[in-house]
Amino acid sequence: MLAVIRPDSWNLPLFLHVLGAVVLFGATATVAIAGFAGLRWKDHAALLSRVAFKTWLLAVVPSWILMRVAAEWILGKEFPDKTPGWVDVGFTVSEGGGILLLVLGAIAWRWARREGTGRAGTAMPWVASIVVLALGIAVFAMSAKP
Amino acid sequence: MSTYQWLLFFHVSGAFLLLGGGAIAAALNLAALGRDRPSEIVLLFGLIRIAIGAILLGTLLAFVFGLWLVHEAGYGYGDGWVVAAIVLLILGNALGGVGGRRDDRTAQLARELAAAGDAPSPELRARVRDPISIALSYGSGLVLVALLAIMIWKPGA
Repeated sequence: MLAVIRPDSWNLPLFLHVLGAVVLFGATATVAIAGFAGLRWKDHAALLSRVAFKTWLLAVVPSWILMRVAAEWILGKEFPDKTPGWVDVGFTVSEGGGILLLVLGAIAWRWARREGTGRAGTAMPWVASIVVLALGIAVFAMSAKP
Repeated sequence: MSTYQWLLFFHVSGAFLLLGGGAIAAALNLAALGRDRPSEIVLLFGLIRIAIGAILLGTLLAFVFGLWLVHEAGYGYGDGWVVAAIVLLILGNALGGVGGRRDDRTAQLARELAAAGDAPSPELRARVRDPISIALSYGSGLVLVALLAIMIWKPGA
């Protein structure tokens, strides 16, 4: 099978889209890891709650914006009229995931404000894990394009 | 789905684990840079091990399925961008590996200090903020971003 060669003008938006997506994947996983670790090591829950919230604020939010803006940029070039199904999967995950990420940020903020105590710490890693799983589904749709 | 689609999925999944693992390690490392208590540094460096697992699995998947894709997609193993990608993958992992071994020694010192009263120590503070370790770890991350750029632009293909 011969590889498909993209026009050069698609490369920069694709690079930024993938870069945003991998950082989003790693940053959201970091929030989940900090949350689960906070449940296990209560002595360090205050530190881990700050790590989770700062990661959400400084890495999750900017990477989601980068991923989403670059997605729109390349979409306008590659599919100006009608989008295929695998792109719609990406939209569903990024927009649904965006809402979940806002919920995640609110929970992480509350957990950090309460110095790592309260029920927010129990919910946070699970919400983050759901987003990580959804991103995994998007990776399947975006790469395999079934 | 075709063989090409499956190979691309596993290759891209590997790239996500590799670069995502790098992002996890960077976030936890940045958090450790601001800490002084040995037990906190032990915890954060310990959590970085999860990222290392993702990086190693991602490297394996990206490399094996990437080589298979080169054959399946009709590229050549001697193509400049393929050779450059392999060199950057090895370089990125080598830099990260050397930086990681320095961090292991720092974590060992932090464990000893945590067991001996958990008091902050100037030596531990200096080791956590060691510019060589930081340059190796973040240099490794930059090399992996360059690798991603090569995979997308495929110069000369």
